[in-house]
Amino acid sequence: MNQAAPQNMPSSAKLIQLMGTVSLVCGLLIVSTHQATLAPIRANQETIMRQTVAELLPGANKQITYGVDGSGNLTVLQGVDAPGPKLFAGYDASGKLIGVVLEGADRGYADVIRAMYSYSLEKQAIIGFKVTELKETPGLGDKIVTDPKFLANFKELDASLKNRIVTVKSGTKKNKWEIDAISGATISSRAVGRLIDKSAKEMIPIIQRNRQRIEGGN
Amino acid sequence: MAHAHGNAPSPSESMEAFLNGLWKQNPVFVQVLGMCPTLAVTNSARNAAAMGLATIFVLVCSNTLISLVRKLVQKQVRIATYILIIATFVTMVDYIIKAVSVDVYKALGPFIALIVVNCIILGRAEAFASKNSVGKSILDGLGMGLGFAIALFCLGGVREILGAGTLFGVSLFGPNFQPWVLFLLPSGGFFTLAGWLLIFTWWKERKKRMAEAQQ
Repeated sequence: MNQAAPQNMPSSAKLIQLMGTVSLVCGLLIVSTHQATLAPIRANQETIMRQTVAELLPGANKQITYGVDGSGNLTVLQGVDAPGPKLFAGYDASGKLIGVVLEGADRGYADVIRAMYSYSLEKQAIIGFKVTELKETPGLGDKIVTDPKFLANFKELDASLKNRIVTVKSGTKKNKWEIDAISGATISSRAVGRLIDKSAKEMIPIIQRNRQRIEGGN
Repeated sequence: MAHAHGNAPSPSESMEAFLNGLWKQNPVFVQVLGMCPTLAVTNSARNAAAMGLATIFVLVCSNTLISLVRKLVQKQVRIATYILIIATFVTMVDYIIKAVSVDVYKALGPFIALIVVNCIILGRAEAFASKNSVGKSILDGLGMGLGFAIALFCLGGVREILGAGTLFGVSLFGPNFQPWVLFLLPSGGFFTLAGWLLIFTWWKERKKRMAEAQQ
């Protein structure tokens, strides 16, 4: 047996002291980086959100972000990082409401697909669509971002909620509330249909209920 | 392995510490380390470059701090201490990437956090920074980090060119190019890595044969 080993062992208190000091320094480094990057991270997220809203609602000069609480009431938000469902209203230069941008998410082939779409209260239709997060197979599922024929579905997709928004087999679209799937990217196309349907069913009644307030921009 | 001493390293020693990782002991092509990020994030040149830069930052910072505290750290808790230091810099780089570009942050996803378990970083902490001066440890981190970044770029560049017909998002072959999508998929990562390893091994063997022939 090695008798010398226990003597060379530093005491537990010394080891704890050492680890504690290192942890303290590490903690300070992390907290200071977090503090320093908090503002740019928020600014980045807000810029991206504003750009997406502007893209989905061409001509929108002014934007207001509303948060939706559990009972469907709206509150004006200053940033975009508040938790919970949100809607982004876009107004033209004269202050007239162009439309509202909503968020949706559903399971695709590889992972959850997140997207934003614009809704026109006047037309009761979806007038724009953009994928914001996607991990689908390159060359197949990721066509939902670029395929012009697929994106043409969202020029005026009926969202009056009289009928469910559904994705139909490629080339079989007959009604205004149907989305024509991309051949070879059926699972991702269906996920888009589901994410819009789910989010529209939840959010459009809230928008209709608060229509006056959103149109007034307050 | 260089001797452990606190004196300033000579220029040739410094150069060797730097070039070792960059070329002679390249972490990907020679040591075949850090395969998880190498294969997972190299589907585009931009992702590869971002992961390379993040790894350089973590390697240089962790090597510096570990070298600074090397005489204070008891051997019984050294690995825990190194991991703590590495995880700190990874968390910092995670915040920094998010502040610089949300797009890159989304593309790299969980692989930023997984830099903590990149064996190159703990490997350099244990094998080099814990035994060498701060100056040499920084150079070693820089060399190894750059070596890793170059290797990632070699993979990411080839995969993006063949798989999407672009480099850094710029189209190279015009709209009629039919991309070889396989190269963007995980299997494409293995094929490209195999191709590069083949080139490196062939080149090394050739050099060895030429040296033998000269003797």
